[in-house]
Amino acid sequence: MSQDWTIRLRGVAVGYRERTVLSDLDFTLLQGSFTALLGANGSGKSTLLKTILGLLPALQGAVEFRHIASPVIGYVPQQEQLDANYPLSALDVVLMATHARLSTGLAVPVAERALAMECLQATGVGELADRRFAKLSGGQKQRVLIARALAARPDILVLDEPTSGVDASATGAILEMLGDIHRERHLTILLVTHDFGIVRRHATRVAWLRHGQLTEGVPAELMSPEHVARMLELT
Amino acid sequence: METLREILAPDFLLRNSLYTSLLVGLACPLVGVFLVLRRLAFLGVALPQISSTGVALALSLHVWFGPSHSHDHGTNQTVAFIGAFTFSLLAVIALAFLERRRDGRTDGRLGAAYVVATAVSILLLAKCPQAEQSWLTLFKGEIIAVTTGELWQTFVLLALMLTVLGWHRRTFLLVSFDPDLATILKVPVNRWNLILFLLIGLTVGVSVLVVGPLITFGFMLVPPLIAHRFADNMQQLTIWSAIIGVLAAFAGFYAAYVWDLPVGPASVGLLGLAYMVAFIATARPFQRAITPAN
Repeated sequence: MSQDWTIRLRGVAVGYRERTVLSDLDFTLLQGSFTALLGANGSGKSTLLKTILGLLPALQGAVEFRHIASPVIGYVPQQEQLDANYPLSALDVVLMATHARLSTGLAVPVAERALAMECLQATGVGELADRRFAKLSGGQKQRVLIARALAARPDILVLDEPTSGVDASATGAILEMLGDIHRERHLTILLVTHDFGIVRRHATRVAWLRHGQLTEGVPAELMSPEHVARMLELT
Repeated sequence: METLREILAPDFLLRNSLYTSLLVGLACPLVGVFLVLRRLAFLGVALPQISSTGVALALSLHVWFGPSHSHDHGTNQTVAFIGAFTFSLLAVIALAFLERRRDGRTDGRLGAAYVVATAVSILLLAKCPQAEQSWLTLFKGEIIAVTTGELWQTFVLLALMLTVLGWHRRTFLLVSFDPDLATILKVPVNRWNLILFLLIGLTVGVSVLVVGPLITFGFMLVPPLIAHRFADNMQQLTIWSAIIGVLAAFAGFYAAYVWDLPVGPASVGLLGLAYMVAFIATARPFQRAITPAN
């Protein structure tokens, strides 16, 4: 695998206007890697993710992108973030990711519609295209949101706890599917998760946030029983 | 049938009122869809009331600024339009700004804005019985004396609003449904939210001036709320909201003409009835009762 970086943070502080959550942070997302971002609730994972996505401005320093000045990021939020009040079909939700490529006011081109369907099929929910998004199960919603991220034709896929609120069997299937997507499409993936199993099976890099410090490394090192016990303060 | 033919005749005396009702019945639900989806229904109640305070201020200007007030209907109408439009825009910008800052409770802000706007309107008109009568007529939704000029002004402004809303429908939906995705896709969310709120403000300003706050908020909220009970997608929600709005406007006008009732309350009353029927028909226990067992 190439060791080129695709996103880099050096001495960055992240947080909100009134409160710095993490400071003097160094982080590198390697191109083509499947990086798992771990950390306890409240450790600053979501704030870091929002800063990388451009949803929050860095309080100090900047998020650097290599090769592409402004890469296309496919983002998979937690499904509870989306309001069930909107009568949108699964296909409507996926088509939102193509917004930047659509002409204002005109109908969605057949090619974009076909791409959206292809992405839904790739995530195993093609037959649910016309079903109302809000009425799908948690696992089905996450698959639709992953399809949406893929429909953006992303350079980087960023997933914020994609199995939150999803039952155990669907969780396994979704994480296996992500592993397949990484292998087949050679996408750079940044995944926020609590699932150590998927990290051990699929991640090629691990970034672990604890007490405001970010530790980066390979799973063999950071997911060893001794290191995990130390990070979880079991020893 | 004879009455229907009379109403639809091109030389019908109250045709301007009918056409105005139909225009408002078409346009208000289409912007109201976004208020309902964004759970800002109460904004649809407060905004027309604030806008009518602008009308009250315009109508009472001569009391506060001396006898320079014009008695010409056209001039008064223009001043009232400026009052309604300015108050709508200022209110919608202020409320959108506070929403963005997440300062305080939205429902509390809108509730306070509604009662304060009503109180200020009454105070402004307290020393001016003639203007108070005009405002109360507007408040009650008596759409009778709509001039051809007012009809054209309403048509042009609402057509402009609907064109912008339709042309950018996908962007408005994206920034409303998933502002995070919109930001990642480099869509300027705050700018588009402001444009959407300005369109809502424009619609409210124009509608309040010709049909009053009661019909404006009735048509902004109730048709989308009815359509939302059964629509499976955005297209159905939008089209059915507009159809329900136009049908209620026509039926309300017809009922008011036949039984000599005020047009606004008749239309909104019909909408209320339709909402009740839609609510019962789509309520879960009723649906279970009519769904055959497998």
